[in-house]
Amino acid sequence: MEAQPASRQKVLIRNVDFYYGTFKALKTITIPLHDKRVTAFIGPSGCGKSTLLRVLNRIYELYPGQRATGEVLVDGENILSPGLDLNLLRARIGMVFQKPTPFPMSIYDNIAFGIRLYERLPHHELDDRVESALRRAALWDEVKDKLGQSGLGLSGGQQQRLCIARAVAVRPEILLLDEPASALDPISTQRIEELIAELKTDYCIAIVTHNMQQAARSSDYTAFMYLGELIEFDETERIFTHPKQKHTEDYITGRFG
Amino acid sequence: MDTYARRRIVNGLVMTLCVAATGFGLLWLVLVLWTLLWNGIAAITPALFAQMTPPPGSAGGLLNAIFGSVVMTFIGTLIGTPTGILAGTFLAEYSRGSKFGEVVRFINDILLSAPSIIVGLFVYELMVVRMGHFSAWAGAVALAILVIPVVVRTTEDMLNLVPSSLREAASALGSPKWKVIVMISYRAAIQGMVTGVMLAVARIAGETAPLLFTALNNQFWSTNLNAPMANLPVVIFQFAMSPYADWQVLAWGGALLITITVLFLNIGARALASWSTFKQ
Amino acid sequence: MASEHIARGYDEELRKLSNTVAEMGGLAESQLGAAMEAVTTRDTELAARVVEGDTKVDQLERDLDSLAIRLLALRQPVARDLREIFSALKIGSDLERIGDYAANVAKRSIALSQTPAVRPAYALPRMAHFAQLQIKEVLDAYVERDADKAYAVWKRDAELDEMYSSLFRELLTYMMEDPRSIGSCTHLLFMAKNIERIGDHATNIAENLYYLVNGAPLEQLRPKGDVSSLEVVTPAGAPK
Repeated sequence: MEAQPASRQKVLIRNVDFYYGTFKALKTITIPLHDKRVTAFIGPSGCGKSTLLRVLNRIYELYPGQRATGEVLVDGENILSPGLDLNLLRARIGMVFQKPTPFPMSIYDNIAFGIRLYERLPHHELDDRVESALRRAALWDEVKDKLGQSGLGLSGGQQQRLCIARAVAVRPEILLLDEPASALDPISTQRIEELIAELKTDYCIAIVTHNMQQAARSSDYTAFMYLGELIEFDETERIFTHPKQKHTEDYITGRFG
Repeated sequence: MDTYARRRIVNGLVMTLCVAATGFGLLWLVLVLWTLLWNGIAAITPALFAQMTPPPGSAGGLLNAIFGSVVMTFIGTLIGTPTGILAGTFLAEYSRGSKFGEVVRFINDILLSAPSIIVGLFVYELMVVRMGHFSAWAGAVALAILVIPVVVRTTEDMLNLVPSSLREAASALGSPKWKVIVMISYRAAIQGMVTGVMLAVARIAGETAPLLFTALNNQFWSTNLNAPMANLPVVIFQFAMSPYADWQVLAWGGALLITITVLFLNIGARALASWSTFKQ
Repeated sequence: MASEHIARGYDEELRKLSNTVAEMGGLAESQLGAAMEAVTTRDTELAARVVEGDTKVDQLERDLDSLAIRLLALRQPVARDLREIFSALKIGSDLERIGDYAANVAKRSIALSQTPAVRPAYALPRMAHFAQLQIKEVLDAYVERDADKAYAVWKRDAELDEMYSSLFRELLTYMMEDPRSIGSCTHLLFMAKNIERIGDHATNIAENLYYLVNGAPLEQLRPKGDVSSLEVVTPAGAPK
């Protein structure tokens, strides 16, 4: 692999527990996320990887009965502290979901929605931002002539790239991707993975995937989780050539899960 | 051979019964519509829309009644729709699982099927007695009270159909909750909500009992909302029960008018619903 | 290659693998050339350098292995990509052996240069030159992914085997005529064998390359021109 820019720790998740009501879904999770790198979370269904991702932008707070304890330090600041403005936090930490969710509005408005929330830009500047976001998501060439059309008219792969463009348009620091390609066909999946490889030069990326080959292909660090616990965290190459925990090896060689 | 033949016979029998039952139901519907058409078509003349309700024995039209119905339906919808939408939004977006929300929903369902005469009586006590006279305002309020539960129910249902993943996606961008509702949920549910309003209007277009207690009726042309106002249902009631032939003809005409209006509103609501699903 | 992968990193890694093989091959070839020069010029310092240089070949093979393992673990290769990586591993192994044999030749040349020259020694450079050409040809074939060139290399191995057989006979004759030359001739015998083995490894590489390009192995029996193992030598003088 060619040399990557030097990396530092962007996020430190420390002793995080998570509860759905009385059920403890995450147990004392401690793990770093490096800047300008992709960290993948793998594990069987119900292991808590999506739950952990949703802690990072506190999207779980939309639902009563879900709570997290512990600390999540982003550049040293604990984002789980109670007084924090959630909306501003979520503008810094973007999320793309498993199912593509274009808003019921034009492609242009889809991208501009997030920008308009916090910035008042003159028209041409907004146009530029929309264009650069769509270029970043490798979607510009396909939609530049139909920005006024509804986002719902795009194909599945295009819709997901639209959601990615929407997320990067607000210039977040961290990108959370929750199984971003699981609803897509193989070619669209590869395009998304190539997109992630390009995006990581600017963002700290965390990706949850049930497809561990995808984790092998596209991540720099991999975390293996099982039943709410972190079993192993290491560089991806090491995890997939000689993992330290037998449990990890059993999972990635398909002996269970 | 035995089982198979028996099955075929049973199948044929049940099919015949189903068709017969459908036919039976449709028959009465057709009869009603036919009777309406047959008796009312004679009254559909330009005069119907140009002249006022006449005294017995002379020719006339239904202009003041039509005007009154339109005005009161409009005002009733105007009052009831925003209230209903906001209440429906509360139930769908803010009351997830709360006891209070369940109570509100329950009461709304009761109101939905409340006899409209009760609503009329209520507004009579509330407004007519206080004001000392009948009025179009009271009529509009009564109609509004009938509109609200319908709009609440359809708004809540339509908003619940909006997938929560859409809301999460908007929240994940840092959008405050009210913007998520207004710019995302409403936009996604708009067609369903409009359909709901149209159905509510269709419901109140033909309500007679509440208007009897509130707006009463008016023989003459009036635009004074503070006074009794003519309206189609009450006029039909009055004219149909009378022994005068020309009044009866006018009554049929009014009934036909209401039926056609309701029919078009329902067709419009359906067309809107299917157009929106087609677009997706 | 026909077209690029959607994941550009994949193509870069495969290119790196291919380049490492080519680098290793060039190094092995030059090692053989330097070893032969050490023999003909009786340059013990050059010979020592060649022996030293074999560590570099070994290191390249280790690099190749770890690159290939990484590709296998992280990219889940199939079809042609899988054959590329598989062939690179096997070719690396063959090249490493070639490097070892070249270093062996160089090592023996140190001992050889301390004894007087013997006549059959002059045949050795010709063999080595031929083997060197085989290596070069097969590496060119690898870089170009040319199966026909690989097949040509594969067939020409018979010539090298014949050269070895005749040198074997000549050395035996010489040893019988002049027992004082047994020391030198034995060294030469081993060196000739090493070169003949180098030729065999080059043929292996050709077979792997053929498999890489065509997806099916070279089925034909390898032409074996080496009949030396069947040689019977009688002490009466001339062999049978």
